[in-house]
Amino acid sequence: MDERLYDMIFICRPATPEEEIDKLLATLEHTIEERAGKVEKKEKWGARKMAYRVHRHREGYYVLLVLRATQGDMIHELERRLKVSDIVIKYMTVRLDEDMKRQKRLAQRREKKASRRPRPGGSRSHGHGGGGGGEQQPAPSQTQAQAQQ
Amino acid sequence: MADETHKESQPQQPQAPAAEPRPPEPRPPEPRPQDQPRAAEGAPATPAAPRPADSRPSEGGRPRGEGRGGEGRGPREGGGGAGGGGGREGGKRGRRGFYRKKKVCRFCVDRVDYIDYKKPEQLMTFIQERGKIMPRRITGTCSRHQRWLAEAIKRARNIALMPFGGAR
Repeated sequence: MDERLYDMIFICRPATPEEEIDKLLATLEHTIEERAGKVEKKEKWGARKMAYRVHRHREGYYVLLVLRATQGDMIHELERRLKVSDIVIKYMTVRLDEDMKRQKRLAQRREKKASRRPRPGGSRSHGHGGGGGGEQQPAPSQTQAQAQQ
Repeated sequence: MADETHKESQPQQPQAPAAEPRPPEPRPPEPRPQDQPRAAEGAPATPAAPRPADSRPSEGGRPRGEGRGGEGRGPREGGGGAGGGGGREGGKRGRRGFYRKKKVCRFCVDRVDYIDYKKPEQLMTFIQERGKIMPRRITGTCSRHQRWLAEAIKRARNIALMPFGGAR
């Protein structure tokens, strides 16, 4: 099966010692390894004010994991662990690969457009003098025009 | 009234010069030559203020939505200034005056392909004071980016990066 990319954010109680969070992270990483997943990125944002109160806490310790998974049940297992854990007050998993695919597609399309744009500008250059929005090709066309002159 | 103010103001010397020029303006209906130019000046100025109010309901009609709509408001007021000569005709859109600056999608300008829910600072500019997502008609966001934006805001809300409703 194809790989999927996930964002997994969880918030710990602000008072939890760092070691406990590390311990939790270690267990999570262990399960990820077990299920043939991969941790792309691991970020601890640290204690940060939350936009609203969660379990009477105004602050929370944010941790972000970016994961690659081939099996869907890996996410299930991770979420179960987060749910069971006492120090975690909130968690969320977002599947990102579709968004990323879209992003890539759009970027490619834009690149194509950018590369296509100079060509009509170059063909028009006889009439237009290459004054279009071309970024890369106008230079040679101008030199040609100058050579012809 | 005018005489009274004069009598009272005269003993108080500092206020007297300020009080003296004022009385002729509002009161006398007879000296029209003086009054008319002022009225003419006043007329475009006053409609300029109610005009945005008139246009609001047609725009979607939530006065609250304007609360943060600095962008939406700015151009309209500017339009009032530009079409100042038109008086109330500015209400009709096809005619001169009532020029409105075209809003441009900020994400399109920046060529944004993905709106990240993990950056609440950026998203914060697109919510109202009470946490509502700003409507497209005010921010000028294109439909595609508005869709992505709404999704990002909703995700951020879920993980307490952004408020659901107002600051608690």
